[in-house]
Amino acid sequence: MAIRVNPGFIDVLDKFGRENIQLCYQCGDCSAVCPHADEFYKFPRKPIRQLQMGLEKKIETTLEPWLCYYCGDCSDLCPRNADPGATMMILRRYLSSVYDWTGLSRKFYTSYKWELGAITIIGLMITLLFSVFNPNGIVTSLTPEGGVKVNEMFPVETVNTGAHIMLITIAGFLISNIIRMWYFTILKDKTLKISFSSYVIQFRQLIIHFATQVRFSKCKDKKYWGFHWILMSGYTLMFILIVGNLKWFQTDKIYLWYHPQRLLGYYSTFGLLLGLVYFFYGRIKKADQIFKLSHLSDWIFIVLLLFTTVSGILLHIFRIEGMPVATYYTYIIHMAVLVPMLCVEVPFSKWSHLAYRPFAIYFSELKKSALSIRNREKLFLKHN
Amino acid sequence: MRTGIFFCQTEDDRNLNIDAIAKYSANLPDVEVVQVFGPGQRPEITIICDLVHSNNLDRIVIAGEMPGYFKPVFTRAMAICKGNTDEVRIASFQEHGAKGENAIDRAKAVVACASMGVPFPLVAISGGNPVNHSTLILGGGIAGIQSALEIANAGKAVYLVEQSGTIGGHMAMFDKTFPTLDCAACILTPKMVSIGQHEMIHLFTRSKIESVSGIPGAYHVKVRQRARFVDVKSCVACNQCTEVCPVKVKSEFDAGISLRKAIYIPFPQAVPNAYLVDETKCSYLLSKGEKCGVCMKKCPKECINLNETDHIIDLEVGNIILATGYDLLDVSGIDQYGYGKFPNVLTSIEFERLTNASGTTGGKIVTKTRQINKKTGEEEWIFSPDGLAPKSVAIIHCVGSRNKKYNSYCSRVCCMYSLKFAHLIKEKIPDVNVYEFYIDMRAFGKGYEEFADRIREEGTYVIRGHSALVAMHNGHMIVRGEDIINDRLTEFEVELVVLAVGLIPSHDTKELSKMLDISVDADGWFSELNYNGSPTDTEKGGIYVAGMCQGPKDIPDTVAQGSAVAAGVLGSITSKKGIGHLSSIPLSEIEKRAKTIHTI
Ligand SMILES: Cc1cc2nc3c(=O)[nH]c(=O)nc-3n(C[C@H](O)[C@H](O)[C@H](O)COP(=O)(O)OP(=O)(O)OC[C@H]3O[C@@H](n4cnc5c(N)ncnc54)[C@H](O)[C@@H]3O)c2cc1C
Ligand code: SF4
Ligand code: SF4
Repeated sequence: MAIRVNPGFIDVLDKFGRENIQLCYQCGDCSAVCPHADEFYKFPRKPIRQLQMGLEKKIETTLEPWLCYYCGDCSDLCPRNADPGATMMILRRYLSSVYDWTGLSRKFYTSYKWELGAITIIGLMITLLFSVFNPNGIVTSLTPEGGVKVNEMFPVETVNTGAHIMLITIAGFLISNIIRMWYFTILKDKTLKISFSSYVIQFRQLIIHFATQVRFSKCKDKKYWGFHWILMSGYTLMFILIVGNLKWFQTDKIYLWYHPQRLLGYYSTFGLLLGLVYFFYGRIKKADQIFKLSHLSDWIFIVLLLFTTVSGILLHIFRIEGMPVATYYTYIIHMAVLVPMLCVEVPFSKWSHLAYRPFAIYFSELKKSALSIRNREKLFLKHN
Repeated sequence: MRTGIFFCQTEDDRNLNIDAIAKYSANLPDVEVVQVFGPGQRPEITIICDLVHSNNLDRIVIAGEMPGYFKPVFTRAMAICKGNTDEVRIASFQEHGAKGENAIDRAKAVVACASMGVPFPLVAISGGNPVNHSTLILGGGIAGIQSALEIANAGKAVYLVEQSGTIGGHMAMFDKTFPTLDCAACILTPKMVSIGQHEMIHLFTRSKIESVSGIPGAYHVKVRQRARFVDVKSCVACNQCTEVCPVKVKSEFDAGISLRKAIYIPFPQAVPNAYLVDETKCSYLLSKGEKCGVCMKKCPKECINLNETDHIIDLEVGNIILATGYDLLDVSGIDQYGYGKFPNVLTSIEFERLTNASGTTGGKIVTKTRQINKKTGEEEWIFSPDGLAPKSVAIIHCVGSRNKKYNSYCSRVCCMYSLKFAHLIKEKIPDVNVYEFYIDMRAFGKGYEEFADRIREEGTYVIRGHSALVAMHNGHMIVRGEDIINDRLTEFEVELVVLAVGLIPSHDTKELSKMLDISVDADGWFSELNYNGSPTDTEKGGIYVAGMCQGPKDIPDTVAQGSAVAAGVLGSITSKKGIGHLSSIPLSEIEKRAKTIHTI
């Protein structure tokens, strides 16, 4: 099969934040040291070669970048200081933009004006929505326990409907992009024969890796995995509580501290804060390789998350302490950060890896099983 | 001719004050326009065309460190403007050695010549000082030996100053040389012997220079010769002193893989062929005469004098040749290969001694044996002739070379000596597996590619892909790497690992460069005046570089340079023109000469 070469491909990649691809002289140190590379998926060297050669179409089909967690071992060792780990990260950005049919992902990754613009516009719309279509205004009377009547100010039914609409929209984008990912990485390769049973059997990989990210623990330094997992679990839990179960989560009644509603909320806040502190510290100090190259999209994402978390904590305090005015404004600010963060980051930017990565692992396992059957058949033919 | 001068800089240009040179150029005759492009700033063809048009230029001079790099765009511009493209001229500072103290003036002179269309070397001929006929050579490796013999054979006196107790340098440590697999000693030993016997060569071993003064053609040099404690003339190398000496230390000549005594001879064929005492280890000397001294009593010729002191020698020479060679990079800091941690990871030079027939195992290639040191009770790993032959050996290229964290340059000889190692191992151990991990195979010389092919045919696994690490797995050494051509990740169990360690300038290079006031390049090697045209001259008249000290090279190239330098020295002695600093001809003088040629 002829493969088209796009000589300008490296320049395309530059826009996603990468400059040093040509530094690599193909020694293979990085692949040899990578704990995730194996006989089927040899990276980072090989994808870097494909990049250098401008094999755009080939790159579209690779899953390797998603198997990298950017622990930075390869970059520490690279004799050319070519930072192969960063190249894998850039490829993840690029691949996200390939999977995304709307083209927004590409815009957000390559132009901070677009990303900030989108966030600002959605934020303003939310502010407008909450301040204009607000039947009861600031409700100053308190509940018998002395809490703020949030549900009267912001009727949970309405907000919940809004949340569901958002959920469906985000999910719609994400799912369609994952289908495209499936198309690029599996379906397009006509030589791969993957049985239905294989899809079913390997499905557990998706669940396991989504829930535990256990592969991350293969990296030499386990602390990234720990912090990343805590942040991710806090985030996911909060997502489920807010977007999926708002009626249960947003109540006027103040439960005792050990009520699951509060415990779960506290856990995820704790997870978010801990993760945030760690990642902020790392990105500012650029302590380890993994943090050396922070792209604007990395910053936007943790700054938004920080705002959301802090406003969420304040909201909780104001509500319990019976401070209606403060609660009212904080609620609006909270929403004005949270909603754009979810709408922009989850389907189109940094957060999409939450979905792409476990799916990539799922697909990679599918491919692996198909390839090993094929290799066995080849061997069999050779011997007979 | 209406001339435009364009200064173009690449990003890694050395810091010459371009503005000063530009200002000077603007006042040169016929110069209509001077334009400076900053480092990394590309000259735009439209700008050049505009300038050529508006000033009606018929000549363009591109000036800078490496202006040749920018020539295509100027030639195109000249062609577009319908000018004569032959009049696009180059004024290269690097090519004409504008560096060191007179760099600016020399750069100005280079621009001046180019703007007048006069070849620079035609006017920049230095001379003047009468030349003393004696020559000083620093370093008695193959480079120094070769120059010394060439000059001495022409009947001129040579002072050969060598820091260690014998001449021979690194080559004396080798068994075979690539690509011919000639016996190194068979080539080197006769040369060494001639040095020792030559009436025109005065050899000072254990010596270094302390100061240099004077001018080209007449340098005064002060040499300090450390006491040898053994009289070279009467020592018959009977070895009785060594037998009784109680002190054991690692042998430098054996790259530390065997032990020697405090009184010793570096190796049996050493020149001078006499014993010496290591003053840093000898009990008698360290205790200021209180302890030991048994060798003195034992020597039948009574030639040991442990009370000898250093000698200071004053020399008057006309020319100085630097041939100080190289050292090996210390790789104990590169922990991915476990050198110093795993006993059977060796550096190339250690392996070279292991496989040498005169080495500690008699040339048998074995792995280290564990033993308990009787004195300290600690376990140690040593080479013994009864050691086990390895079943598999990994040779890893580019260790600390071509690596931005250590040496970014290529050490140039290690690909070839690694292949040589593979051959020697295969030759000595029939059923051994040898894995050779390389990034790029630099087999650049005559017969080298064929040598590489031959090694492949001999059954060595020559793997395209650098090995990333050496690790221990359940008591076995594992080498992990990527086999890029066969598209697989490899993990081989090996019993011996040889690291092709990078080469660095010899430890005294910096100090010597200061003492002699000549420059070193970014990697620390002595700078030659011009890489292509004058590869063995320096910017200082009467000071030359030969062999590895100017940059990594193999023995054939080293020998060639050794001879080339001798030609330069002899030329300066016989030409009667005298010598001067190449870079110190006054600018006004060059301008004057250029103008005369220009007007002819
Ligand atoms: C492991 C290994 C294997 C090799 N195998 C081969 C091979 O098979 N074939 C081949 O062609 N090349 C080979 N080479 C390269 C070869 O060693 C060099 O090309 C050659 O030795 C260079 O000779 P030299 O005289 O310039 O330097 P050196 O051999 O280093 O000699 C320099 C001398 O100068 C002395 N010196 C240093 N500083 C001072 C000072 N300040 N004052 C006085 N004296 C000083 C040193 O003591 C030394 O004697 C090999 C290199 C290595 C590392
Ligand atoms: S370690 Fe660096 S130079 Fe070597 S293949 Fe990887 S990226 Fe390229
Ligand atoms: S000669 Fe070969 S092994 Fe040595 S540094 Fe150059 S490429 Fe690496």
